[in-house]
Amino acid sequence: MAIGLEHYLVVGAVLFALGLVCCMARRTAIGILIGIELILNAANINLIAFDRFGTGRFDGQIFAVFVIILAACEAAIALAIIIGMFMNFGTIDTDVADKLEG
Amino acid sequence: MSSADWIAISPLIAVAAAAVVVMMLAAFWRRHAIVAAASMIGLAVALFCVLPARSAAPRMVTGLLAIDEFGLFYVGLLLKGSLAVAAVSYGYLRARGRDAEEYYALLLTATLGCVTLAVSAHFVSFFLGLEILSVSLYALIAYTRERARSIEAGIKYLVLAAGSAAFLLFGMALLYAEYGAMGFAPLAKALKASGGANVYMLAGMALILVGAGFKLAAAPFHLWTPDVYEGAPAPATAFVAGVSKVAMAALLLRFLTQLGATDSRPILIALSALAVASMFAGNLLALLQRNVKRILAYSSIAHIGYLLVAFIAAGPMGAEAATFYLAAYMITTLIAFGVVAALSPRDRDADAMEDYQGLFWRRPWMGGAFVAALLSLAGIPLTAGFIGKYFVVASGIGSALWALVLILALNSAIGLFYYLRSVVAVYARPGEEAKAADRAPGFSLAGGVALAVLGFSLILLGVYPAPLLRLIQTAIASL
Amino acid sequence: MILTLLILILLIGGAAAWAAERKSPLWSRGIALGAVTLDLLLVVGQWAALRHAPEFLKPGAWLVETRAEWIPQFGVSFHLGMDGLSLLLLALTFFLGALSVACSWSEIQKRVGFFHFNLLWVLAGIAGVFTALDLFLFYFFWEMMLIPMYLLIVIWGHERRVYSAIKFFLFTQASGLLMLIAILTLQFLHFKQTGARSFDYSDLLNVAMTPRAAMLLMLVPEASLRFAPVAMALGVVGILYGAILAFAQTDLKRLVAYTSVSHLGFVVLGIYSWNAWAMQGAVMQMICHGLSTGALFVLVGLLYERIHTRDLRRMGGLWSAAPRIGAMAMFFAMASLGLPGLGNFIAEFLVLLGAYHVSVWMTALAGIGLVGATIYSLSLMQRAFHGPAEEAWSFADLSAREWAVLGAMAAALVWLGLYPQPVLHAAAPIVESLEKIGSALPGFFMR
Repeated sequence: MAIGLEHYLVVGAVLFALGLVCCMARRTAIGILIGIELILNAANINLIAFDRFGTGRFDGQIFAVFVIILAACEAAIALAIIIGMFMNFGTIDTDVADKLEG
Repeated sequence: MSSADWIAISPLIAVAAAAVVVMMLAAFWRRHAIVAAASMIGLAVALFCVLPARSAAPRMVTGLLAIDEFGLFYVGLLLKGSLAVAAVSYGYLRARGRDAEEYYALLLTATLGCVTLAVSAHFVSFFLGLEILSVSLYALIAYTRERARSIEAGIKYLVLAAGSAAFLLFGMALLYAEYGAMGFAPLAKALKASGGANVYMLAGMALILVGAGFKLAAAPFHLWTPDVYEGAPAPATAFVAGVSKVAMAALLLRFLTQLGATDSRPILIALSALAVASMFAGNLLALLQRNVKRILAYSSIAHIGYLLVAFIAAGPMGAEAATFYLAAYMITTLIAFGVVAALSPRDRDADAMEDYQGLFWRRPWMGGAFVAALLSLAGIPLTAGFIGKYFVVASGIGSALWALVLILALNSAIGLFYYLRSVVAVYARPGEEAKAADRAPGFSLAGGVALAVLGFSLILLGVYPAPLLRLIQTAIASL
Repeated sequence: MILTLLILILLIGGAAAWAAERKSPLWSRGIALGAVTLDLLLVVGQWAALRHAPEFLKPGAWLVETRAEWIPQFGVSFHLGMDGLSLLLLALTFFLGALSVACSWSEIQKRVGFFHFNLLWVLAGIAGVFTALDLFLFYFFWEMMLIPMYLLIVIWGHERRVYSAIKFFLFTQASGLLMLIAILTLQFLHFKQTGARSFDYSDLLNVAMTPRAAMLLMLVPEASLRFAPVAMALGVVGILYGAILAFAQTDLKRLVAYTSVSHLGFVVLGIYSWNAWAMQGAVMQMICHGLSTGALFVLVGLLYERIHTRDLRRMGGLWSAAPRIGAMAMFFAMASLGLPGLGNFIAEFLVLLGAYHVSVWMTALAGIGLVGATIYSLSLMQRAFHGPAEEAWSFADLSAREWAVLGAMAAALVWLGLYPQPVLHAAAPIVESLEKIGSALPGFFMR
């Protein structure tokens, strides 16, 4: 059986679902961050697969590279803020941070 | 790239260069006043570059950026907004008294993200602009890192914005999969050729709307708004509320218009649902608040609902109404948060109702500006908000959106409750504590000038909007 | 030009009065009084100059008109015009405006400059509403005057002022928004029919509409006409309801407020009777009600300033303490009940005369309202000024300034009662043109 577009799409969809569940179920900030990375990579797999099997113009692949770079930036800032959170609250459990009303 | 291309994107380059310069200054010559001045000069230069760029327009640069009248109008607007935020920030950060320099670099990169959004006509530049903006905003919101609230707001914004960006990206991937194009114009062509909506297209659009809805804080994606507004330092809130939303709305306007998405019934229904939910959620929840920043947060949710009515109204009139509304909204929001920033003492933000008790009698000009902003939000004549609200209602009636227009009128009436309550506080007799704190610690000359210019524009647009309307008409015609 | 000037004088005068507070409160008061008086003189001057002009009696003609482009993209123009009716109402507005500056002379002691700023801007908004010929402009002025009015209530009001100010604002705003939607719809229909954007009254008057749409909007005379029977009934209900509630009040100010409801019922009845007598009567009633009720409110204010209560149960026997106040109150109470020889009598008589031609029943019921007016006016006098004194009152009687204010109002009422011709003359053309519309659409009247 040759590996075709559908297989990539299924992997992408599964990753998307896993990421979504991870975002919702995890309480620590890092866990949520990992979930977001999973969703981003699900989209990346889709972009590359569509590029490979569809247009073949490399624009999808280039986009994926952009996404990887941006995800790295995001992770850097996110970790800095999470450290700030640890300094202030002594934990990175997002349920503990509830000083703001609402 | 030809030289005309470089001229066309010169405003973007100027902002990027300013960000680098300010970063260097912050590293090697840490003087708050100089860094602030450098960033304001950088923004002013970028603003000046809009003029030559207009002569080079319309032009597609590398297929990613559409430099046209529409984009440049928004670039100008956003740059003016950031300039005002930078001016207001100076006094606020000086009162706080430490680590002010990096703030401006972040502000400039955030502005870069905004202007990129305003001119982007491609998924790549869309996502790139959005992420530059978001990543800078995470840091700006959590900037006062010794305050737990600020950090908490940063985390909340981080989680939700990153999540929504991921949704957005997945939506883009779906549209790319179906139509094999990422530029708005090729996408529109492919969409037309394929003959209407299908499951991929709707799913992709839905995900993109969710992502954009988060950024715009439209209900039901508004949950972060009050917390982030309350926790973030006041000038950063001004940027989130006043500038970044305008950029996102500009992009959405271009995207929906070019794709002809407002002809598609499911999308119209989705937008209407967002509009109605935002209006009611914003106005009703605002009634329960006592904290000024939270009131403004819920009010901004309601205003996004009003704005979406103009989005739904088809044709150039809707787009013009939305553009005018955004300009008015930006000015108003910047004034309101500018006053909050100016009144904020060293260790907290002036967000309790008591801080505004009798403000008009203690500081007539600042109180007057705050009242003008509230009245503009309520849509009372002599302010830009009135013309904006009028225009939105007119565009709604022009498209026969009776139900939406009536809901809008009802919500305006509800909104009056909490705007008037704040106005009453400003005119009340000053309380004892307020008398004791009879200062505006975060006030600076630059911030004062910015507030004065904003206030003047607010009244001018309310009394004589014809020149701006002409400009907007040319901008929309180029779309 | 003169109309723009009228509004500008008030706007600038208001700002100047505010700025002059630094010098002394007296300057603020002086500037405000000067600005309003100047406007009053200008209007009266116009009246005198135009009285014999041929347009004065021509239905549908504007005596003075100014027009300038304002927001061409929306089809909005700065279009002001004045006919006989708006002339009368402007004169009344400025007359009462000048008097209210005068009677707040000692009552308002804090934030004097800002008070006069608000007062003059309210007057400017009202002047704009009376003269606007562009519906957008009309709405603009209408909303613009609410803010200073709101501030006047919030800052200088009495107990429960915040509550009443917000209630006032919400009611007017919510109804204003509905009006805006109606105006916009009319504009939209006009655009669809002619392809031109315009808010001009004369353009929008000619918009063709289905009867149902017209019924919903009710902005134009023909549409109002279909609504006439309901409106007349509402007018009668207002007359009786106001009279009965006025009688039941123990707060002097609320009492006067309900008499005002009753008087405005006559205006509604008069307008919708849709013939020359009744409409002339309605115009007269607007003016006389402004004077007599205004004077009663002034009296309530100056009593409150002296005895710090408005509770009728605590009053009684005030006449012996202040016979001049008592006499003035007697005079305006008589005016309010429609004593012959005073303006209100002419007004109510004309309204009833005109209404009689339309519906005998309605007229009879409205006539009962006159009996009610007699009862509440006399009971007001009885409860406040006669009878046993609850407390040993001793306070200053009318000052010279208060004499002048009330005297001017009383003189105006006597003048209107004995020689109403100038008012009837000025209102004649507009009444005539409305009547013409009415006669073109017969069959809507109950006989």
